[in-house]
Amino acid sequence: MAIITVDGREINVKDDALLIDELLANDVSVPHFCYHPALGKDGNCRMCMVEIEGQKRPQIACDTPVKDGMIIRTQSENIARVKRQMLELELVNHPIDCPICDQAGECSLQNFYMEAGLYDSRVDIAKNKKQKHVDLGANVILDQERCVLCTRCVRFTSNITKTHELGVVVRNDHSFISTFPGIKLSNPYAMNVIDLCPVGALTSKDFRFTQRVWFLKPQEAICDGCSRGCSLLVDHNREKYKDDLIYRYRPKHNDAVNGYFICDYGRLNYKKENDNRLKFAYIRGMESEFEYATLKLERLLKRYNSKALLLISPTLSLEEIYRLKKLSQKLDLDINSFDENFDESFGDDMLRQNDKTPNRRAIELQGIESSKEDLQKKLKDKDFVLLINRADVDMIKDLGYDGSIGVLSSSDFLHKDKLDIIIPVASHTQRDGTFINCDDFIQYSKCQIKRDIESIKILDLVEGILNDGVSTCEAVWDSGLKEENFLKDINFNDVRFNSIKIELK
Amino acid sequence: MIKKIVSKNFDIKDSHKLKVARENDRYSSLKKLFSMSPEAVLDEVDKSGLRGKGGGGASAGAKWKLIPNPSDKPTYLIVNADESEPGTFKDRQILEYDPHLLIEGIICSSYAIKSNHAYIYIRGEYVFWAKRLQTAIDEAYEAGILGDNVLGYDYKLEVTLHRGAGAYICGEKSALVESLEGKRGHPRLKPKQKEPEWFFDCPSVVNNVETISSVPFIIKEGFEAYRAYGTEKNPGTMLFGMSGHIKNPGIYELEFGTNMLEFINKIGGGMRDGKKLKALVPGGSSCHVLKADELEGITLDYESLKAHGSSLGTGGMILMDETVFMPKVVKNLFEFYHHESCGQCTPCREGVSWSDKLMGKILDGNGTKKDLDTLLSLSFLLNGKSICVFAPSVAFIIDSYINKFKDEFYSLVK
Repeated sequence: MAIITVDGREINVKDDALLIDELLANDVSVPHFCYHPALGKDGNCRMCMVEIEGQKRPQIACDTPVKDGMIIRTQSENIARVKRQMLELELVNHPIDCPICDQAGECSLQNFYMEAGLYDSRVDIAKNKKQKHVDLGANVILDQERCVLCTRCVRFTSNITKTHELGVVVRNDHSFISTFPGIKLSNPYAMNVIDLCPVGALTSKDFRFTQRVWFLKPQEAICDGCSRGCSLLVDHNREKYKDDLIYRYRPKHNDAVNGYFICDYGRLNYKKENDNRLKFAYIRGMESEFEYATLKLERLLKRYNSKALLLISPTLSLEEIYRLKKLSQKLDLDINSFDENFDESFGDDMLRQNDKTPNRRAIELQGIESSKEDLQKKLKDKDFVLLINRADVDMIKDLGYDGSIGVLSSSDFLHKDKLDIIIPVASHTQRDGTFINCDDFIQYSKCQIKRDIESIKILDLVEGILNDGVSTCEAVWDSGLKEENFLKDINFNDVRFNSIKIELK
Repeated sequence: MIKKIVSKNFDIKDSHKLKVARENDRYSSLKKLFSMSPEAVLDEVDKSGLRGKGGGGASAGAKWKLIPNPSDKPTYLIVNADESEPGTFKDRQILEYDPHLLIEGIICSSYAIKSNHAYIYIRGEYVFWAKRLQTAIDEAYEAGILGDNVLGYDYKLEVTLHRGAGAYICGEKSALVESLEGKRGHPRLKPKQKEPEWFFDCPSVVNNVETISSVPFIIKEGFEAYRAYGTEKNPGTMLFGMSGHIKNPGIYELEFGTNMLEFINKIGGGMRDGKKLKALVPGGSSCHVLKADELEGITLDYESLKAHGSSLGTGGMILMDETVFMPKVVKNLFEFYHHESCGQCTPCREGVSWSDKLMGKILDGNGTKKDLDTLLSLSFLLNGKSICVFAPSVAFIIDSYINKFKDEFYSLVK
């Protein structure tokens, strides 16, 4: 531990930590472009200058290790002048086209100008002209004029993905970011450069021009693209006369799981939440009243009892799995969770996992059978199979099953007329729940967006049948989930805010 | 006044050829060199007080001592032949007339820091000199002076000549090392403590051509012989250049501490066509300009020039007579610095280009007093806020030229 004094305030810091990290951690405003905790220092933007007692010149905080007893000033007149003039220089060749820039509202340059700039422009020379629309590949569009050459994107491709697609070319104020000739930006994590870019130079082809960012409401969620379960921010907004739609996923910083990044597959996975949704309940191919269908389902399950099988999906939350297990016990239903959603070419040594479901581990831990052999055996004497949060009807038909089939799904699928009952359920971002990832971290997905599409949460559906008043995640934990062996030392309230590693005894 | 140590062979015909060079004492220091231990050689150079001659004037011995001894990694000597400072052309003379002196210096220096591989990073535009140096290196290999056993002694040394791609900033030592590693020539962040340069993560020494070329004399004659020349703090000699409106432009090797005006008037022969001296830049364009009436009493050494508000730099003087219009000089320099700014850090990338454009605007007759104020305020950010010393050079130009020749600048603006 060391103690430093910042603007007269004493702060406890870690020894040998970087000054900028400690300042930011203690809510001291330090404008910066090039420094990023995941990419390290580069020292090129020169914005993070602070005065250190005993040093003649201002020093950049990103290249200064803390020392016990350091006296730092971030607000002096000299530093204010440095920041103001540095911003002025960044803007000499910047087009200042904020009104048409997608980054506006979440732009470091804008924020720092409002904080440290606020001067009248002295620039009356012609600005350098560069390319405004360069398709770098991987959904990334580059506007060279807006770029402040912090090289975060370049360092991302060289240090993190090690694919080296980007570089700086040409010298002085004519320099710009570019891919190497004949090469496109193409790696599974490429779109992270859009978040890394502090200004509007790199924007997403997918998101640009769809929403002004200040209208978006972020909610936290866990990615359901693979078993890594990266932390996400779900940006959604309800426009007038429209449904509440999701416009993008962004990574949420989480050191335990994904660090600062997510993969492009996960990032674009929000589309399934908006598009191709199952909109109505169906009974034998006919659109049906929603309540009628749920009652019908209850009657079916109660009638078939041991002749019915719940085929659950590893995309369900821990609470849903627990409740469905309970349901199967109460009504004497069979349960299985065979699922083949693996992609051997998907995983890598960064974040992506071959298992493309978010919660297979929870099924394992709750002791639910998931082998194909077990499913085949159980299907033999079944008259009714209910697919839950999945719609792979062909799979069970291929296994020789030809009885009644019901489906609870959030996304639309083909050949609905062949099925007995179909009920739309809440999609991933419409309901909360906990997930256990490939490394045994239990995480809570908070996001509950209220959509116009009629759908039912599986917890509500089960509660309707069991009639025990347990319909929220917290209630499920209290009703017995917390007694499960693997959750012994874990409190639901802790899981809400942190990724917690479960200890298996 | 002229003391020929490094330039001893410059006037001999064919001095760049190995045969002629050997007849004229080249490689004669090696016998003594290999009779000494590397530590003793390093000590000798340190005691001689040899200072780096690339512009900074840091002690060469102190720099060499930063190399860990023993080092668990290979060590390298890198010779900085990326001579591109406007007004400087001294290393070129060594490469042209006495390349074997440099090779001899490389052997001595590499031996001192226990390096078995030396690199010479030569400016890309020096095509002729690169060829000449390569020929000399080839000759040396053939004669067994370089290679597995240097002159039959138990010491291995490889020398590789590397041509730059034409960037002024690669004369900055850390940018040079980056460039030599195959990366973009961007200066590195300065370390907090004194440490060697890291070439592919191995400790390395980067020295100027002239510095390395001064080493054989020190080895052969001993450090006291070197200290006999120059002043206490500036021992030895240096190649001083004169260019511009002088009668006898060229490179002259002088002792440190020579009177500047004497040098200009006696050796340089005074200004051309009987014109009067108006101003001079003492050591490459990156120094503060000095007006003619400020030259009284200046001696050619680091301390004297520093005391007079400028610096010795590379020793390449640019002399300007009374016909010179200073704003045009500044514009010319700005164009150079604008073109050569590497673009890595903000103050330099944007500040230098803005200065250049502002000066252009002023020279076009569209400038106002406010533009000059803007220029002067830019020097605040250029000086000491950037990664390397490129931007401060531009700040020196802004400050010294505009403040010393106010009338000429203010006559241009409304």
